[in-house]
Amino acid sequence: MSTLTNSNHHSAVNRLVLSNGITLIVVENPTADLVAGRMFLKNAGTRWENRHQAGISHLLSSVITKGTKNLSSIEIAEKIESIGASLGADASSDYFGFSVKTIAADFSQILHLMAEILRFPTFPEIEVELEKRLTIQGIRSQQEQPFNVGFNQLRELMYQDHPYALSILGTEETVSQLTSEDLHRYHQNYFRPDNFVISLSGCLTFKQAVDLVQDAFGDWQIPPSSLPPLEFPPISVQPGQKVTIQETQQAIVMLGYLAPGVAKMADYSALKLLNTYLGNGLSSRLFVELREKRGLAYDVSGFYPTRLDEAQFVVYMGTAPENTAIAIEGLRNEVDRLANQRLNGLEIKAAKNKLLGQYALGKQTNAEIAQIYGWYETLGLGIEFDTLFCEQINLIEAEQLQNVAISYLTKPYLSLVGPEDIIKQQFAI
Amino acid sequence: MANGLTLIHQYLPTTPVVVADVWVRAGATIEPEEWSGMAHFLEHMIFKGSKRIGPGVFDRTIENLGGSTNAATSHDYAHFFLTTAADYLKDTLPYLGEILLQAEIPEHEFYCERDVVLEELRYSLDDPDWIAFQALTETMYQNHPYKRPILGDEGLLLQHTPNQMRCFHRTHYQPQNITVCIVGGIAEDKAFTLLEKSFRNFSTPSECPPHFIDAEPPLIDVRRSELYVPRIEEARLSMGWLGPGVDQLQDAFGLDLISVILASGRNSRLVRELREEKQLVLDISSSFSLQKDSSLFTISAWLETGFLESVEEIIQEKIRQLQNYPVTPGELARYKKMLCHDYIFSTETPGQLAGLYGYYHTIANAELAVIYPEMIKCLDAWDLQRIANQYLAPERYAISIIRPC
Repeated sequence: MSTLTNSNHHSAVNRLVLSNGITLIVVENPTADLVAGRMFLKNAGTRWENRHQAGISHLLSSVITKGTKNLSSIEIAEKIESIGASLGADASSDYFGFSVKTIAADFSQILHLMAEILRFPTFPEIEVELEKRLTIQGIRSQQEQPFNVGFNQLRELMYQDHPYALSILGTEETVSQLTSEDLHRYHQNYFRPDNFVISLSGCLTFKQAVDLVQDAFGDWQIPPSSLPPLEFPPISVQPGQKVTIQETQQAIVMLGYLAPGVAKMADYSALKLLNTYLGNGLSSRLFVELREKRGLAYDVSGFYPTRLDEAQFVVYMGTAPENTAIAIEGLRNEVDRLANQRLNGLEIKAAKNKLLGQYALGKQTNAEIAQIYGWYETLGLGIEFDTLFCEQINLIEAEQLQNVAISYLTKPYLSLVGPEDIIKQQFAI
Repeated sequence: MANGLTLIHQYLPTTPVVVADVWVRAGATIEPEEWSGMAHFLEHMIFKGSKRIGPGVFDRTIENLGGSTNAATSHDYAHFFLTTAADYLKDTLPYLGEILLQAEIPEHEFYCERDVVLEELRYSLDDPDWIAFQALTETMYQNHPYKRPILGDEGLLLQHTPNQMRCFHRTHYQPQNITVCIVGGIAEDKAFTLLEKSFRNFSTPSECPPHFIDAEPPLIDVRRSELYVPRIEEARLSMGWLGPGVDQLQDAFGLDLISVILASGRNSRLVRELREEKQLVLDISSSFSLQKDSSLFTISAWLETGFLESVEEIIQEKIRQLQNYPVTPGELARYKKMLCHDYIFSTETPGQLAGLYGYYHTIANAELAVIYPEMIKCLDAWDLQRIANQYLAPERYAISIIRPC
């Protein structure tokens, strides 16, 4: 068992590995009326999907609450609603997750229901077919949002055959092939206690949490089989461009750079800081230069998600189609500038304060607290990462920022969505 | 406070965060008709500062101290909020006060920011759900300014001048129209002193051209709008009914409860029948949004074009059922509990609390925000049946349909 201090609330972060391999994390928050829980299956999610089964994690997330050995879909929904709780499943790039929220008194009930859902799902054919159909419609609907179109094509361009290349929903071809049997196999492979993390925050003590989890999950045994190996080809870096013609009101311009995952801690932290500097908030560099001073965009920003494998460092904006060329140049100049000249001390200090301040503000609700510690545990970083990351940010200096910019941020992939005549006129394709 | 400004404060000793949320009764409903879009455009221009505080200085100050800020405009209000570590409120609130009270609205910035607002409009026009909602409110409200798009339209935006905006600002950004909610790790006396110091120098009041808010007559038949939109995969069907204003809060909360009985969760009436069983929709939702004058009850579905008619009929049938039969005791208990727990789940942070108090105080009275769970618990099946009969009718509603072309 280990205990850390949660910097926001000065409350302890407790961690214990149970005898069947389940990792339990608990933040006691006696002033709350509720308990929020995040449960994670490690080594599951998009990263573990075979290309021909892309979307299986997401499909499983939409069917797993729709039938168990002892309960029908309707009965499960009734159990949740009758105590005014919320319970959902979700698939992500690097994990499979569940979220629950109840008032404190009802938490034990929901935990038992979770155990039933996790251990004995039946994936009824009729529900699988319904959710497959809805998922395929959802995949088509992604075409409706220009931002999604731009992001999807950028992702495919950058990741090629790596599982991160595809949307969490999968593709029409792969989803239509999936069966209840496939879901059962996926469940057998990844749903096991030594692959399971429960993270709780709210009005319960560590001791109570341990007892409740023992009671609900204590008899779950580790199966003799080992986890399937992780298999995917390496990503080759070949910056290029992709354009989709759509008669939109705004053109979407995105630049993407292949950047390291979270394991390369020093580079990762420096790039997080650069991302904050460029794209976070009303005083960020992109916002000030391209929106405030030049009126080019309403939505102009950047993101660099935390991933186990290579991540995307993206800057983007939506702009009037006739500004497309100016927008590409504007974004490009701002990213190039990071490699060409060092940021000054004031800029770096401001970016650090902003990143650390926002990071702390992102841990206000019990659900947010449960998410962050459980997620760090799931990624193999450990709950200590919460403080390590902040320390690492504080140590960053100008030279290091320029170096990561030179290493990772010089040759962008380009993604463009917009109306035909203007894109052709502005941009040779 | 002495100058007519309202302070709502709640001390949360266990949180290191403070939120200040400033609500101004200066939303789109009080725009003179030809000034449509002004309230929202002004919200953008506030961040361009005062004589002493240059454009972007406030944003930089708050964000460099690790905090964040933003703003939003609706029909009944505009609001501006900042979140900061408790110790830094004294370094940031005076800036927010000054840019709100002494907005300079410089010419050059005005024309540059107008391009940003036009981009926001284009951004919204690329969102089919925004188009569907806009079409519904325009169909639903014939007289009341709730029919207006908050963003305005391009033609009118190009005609607005900095002087008109200054006039709008000086007319409405006055103490009697402003509620400041300060929630979090700051004691009352400190919050009061700080606010008094920060919200002192109001501009000399001006006088806008008059605005007219006509009462909305009840719907007497089905008002229909149909649009064809390129690039979309699914049709959208949105149906709306007029709810009461804030003067009849019990009825309003009753409609909130009816909306979850209809379409919240897998066992709710519409989701179960249309998504799970008959499989006619990709998704369906219902929402009630409380507004000052006449609220809005909506049901929206995403579906294939071929099912539009049958889904509309089934929704009518479900409304008729609510009018003719009381909801079952099981449903009543479940959904009341759901709303009461959702209330607990959505009042965890200082920001959520400040937003809740400010919203209620701007359209009615902050005390109403805290009695919500009690009022929900009081509703019985007969109340809901009466409310369904009074406000929802299967033969009188507004509907907007968006089809792929």
